[in-house]
Amino acid sequence: MSRVILSSLYWAFFVLILLFIALPLLVVIAASVSPTVSVTFEFWTWTFEWFQRMWAPRWIDPFILSAKIAALVAIITGVLATLAAYAVAYRKVPGHTAIMSFLLSPLAVPQIVKGVAIVLFFSSAGLYHYLGFPGLVLGHVVLTMPFATRMIVTAIYNFDTNLDRAAQVLGASKWQRVYHVLLPLIKPGIFSGMTFAFILSFNDVPIALFLVRPGEITLPIKVINYFEFGLDPVLAAVNVASLLFLLAVIFLFEKIGGFTAQLHGGSK
Amino acid sequence: MNVSEPISAARQRRSFLSPGAYVPLIPPVSALLLFFALPMGMMIGLSFETTLGGFGLSNYQDFFTDDLALDGLRRTLVMSGLVAISVTVMAYPIAYFLARSTTRWRVIVFALAIAPELAGVVLRTYGWLVILEKNGFINDTLISLGLIEEPLPLIGNMFGAVVGLTHVLLPFGILSLLTSIQGIDQNLEKSAQILGASRLSVLRHIVFPLSLPGIMSSFLIAFTLSASAYATPALLGGIKFKVLATMIYREVLVLVNWPAAAVMATVLLVIVIGIAFFSTRAENRIVNRLHVR
Repeated sequence: MSRVILSSLYWAFFVLILLFIALPLLVVIAASVSPTVSVTFEFWTWTFEWFQRMWAPRWIDPFILSAKIAALVAIITGVLATLAAYAVAYRKVPGHTAIMSFLLSPLAVPQIVKGVAIVLFFSSAGLYHYLGFPGLVLGHVVLTMPFATRMIVTAIYNFDTNLDRAAQVLGASKWQRVYHVLLPLIKPGIFSGMTFAFILSFNDVPIALFLVRPGEITLPIKVINYFEFGLDPVLAAVNVASLLFLLAVIFLFEKIGGFTAQLHGGSK
Repeated sequence: MNVSEPISAARQRRSFLSPGAYVPLIPPVSALLLFFALPMGMMIGLSFETTLGGFGLSNYQDFFTDDLALDGLRRTLVMSGLVAISVTVMAYPIAYFLARSTTRWRVIVFALAIAPELAGVVLRTYGWLVILEKNGFINDTLISLGLIEEPLPLIGNMFGAVVGLTHVLLPFGILSLLTSIQGIDQNLEKSAQILGASRLSVLRHIVFPLSLPGIMSSFLIAFTLSASAYATPALLGGIKFKVLATMIYREVLVLVNWPAAAVMATVLLVIVIGIAFFSTRAENRIVNRLHVR
């Protein structure tokens, strides 16, 4: 009997944890379509008013800025991380383990510390007017590059070198092998790295905190600054819209890069 | 070129011969040197600069003799410890289920556990504000049920910050425990069960001790990430709830006291790297002990 009680207690705890995880998200979604300011759980009345109110420069401008930064960061990080992974994992240049640890070293540093260091560098190098868009792009490249490098290096390690060997035996040049064999096969890894970079950059707070400037404020920072004025339901709409936007971006990147195949072991 | 030669050897020899193999590394490495290594060096250097422009520990002396700063440091450590405990306790049942379940519920629970990571910190904080604030979901429900008369102070304090951070970091805990539990040989559990052990004693004597490295990595990742979190403690902890991250922000953007900010950031860096260093050593020791036959 006590075993039954114990096991039902266990499952109750289990369900409570899942509720704990889901609740804040459900609340935000409910708040974004709820007609009153406080969340009433009256599901029979709902409104799109907050999504319409979101359609003002105050929210659209930061949204576009964040999307532009994230897109540029995904591209720059994608290129730099692919170059790094190519040299470290494919060519295996002498000293590649040491170079790899250097490339991954930003991961050991808390993001807020990176943010302080970068803004300190900009201001003492007299580059203060480069804060805002250029500074944010650079800061986010530093933030995302280690993650993307690690993903692409894993993709190269999973790459079947026999295919490379076969191409070489058949007389393919180095560039032909890279372009027609290596790159197509590690494309899912590159795209998952780029998607990750896009999401990290779009949601980033601790680095953008120091690098935004008046008129060039990213969406998460804008929302945080707006919290002071209370819980406006427009904020819920903004948050839900950015979540939907990220889902659309992931879907698009997946269509081009096909990285979910990798999760099922497809690239090997 | 001689085709019969093993390619890896050929490739290695070629890369020894040609420095050209390093060319692709120039853009990524120089980006990191210029925008990561150099700024970090400048920041750490600044923390050791004295007012006269010399080199000394006076900034650290200021930090470690300031009661408010020490309070903030202590609060950071207490908060991170509480978050690390609650993350690990809550992540364990989910991770164990994900590691051992074979039903289709597994995919659903996995999606539910990991998907919130896609929603940024800001969205989740907004959700918790709606749930926990004075006229929020929980207080409203408790008052209308007649359980309490005055709203409970659920935000603007340590409680709010710990709840918010636990939510943000739970997926990290689940993933690190999942890898560890998946690595345990399931035959050990099966044989114990065949020999008559109850599920509880299988958990207590087999799964739990063997997953200690996972428990530790879940604890430490939650600890280090909450020690350096800014948004959640700032918004759910309130203005008076000062931790290292929010103090750093204030020194940089409100007080414009660069040396003080550099000291706090360096202290935070030393805490995080120190924990990572000792945890790898301790983890190796646990793993070694587990594998002694």
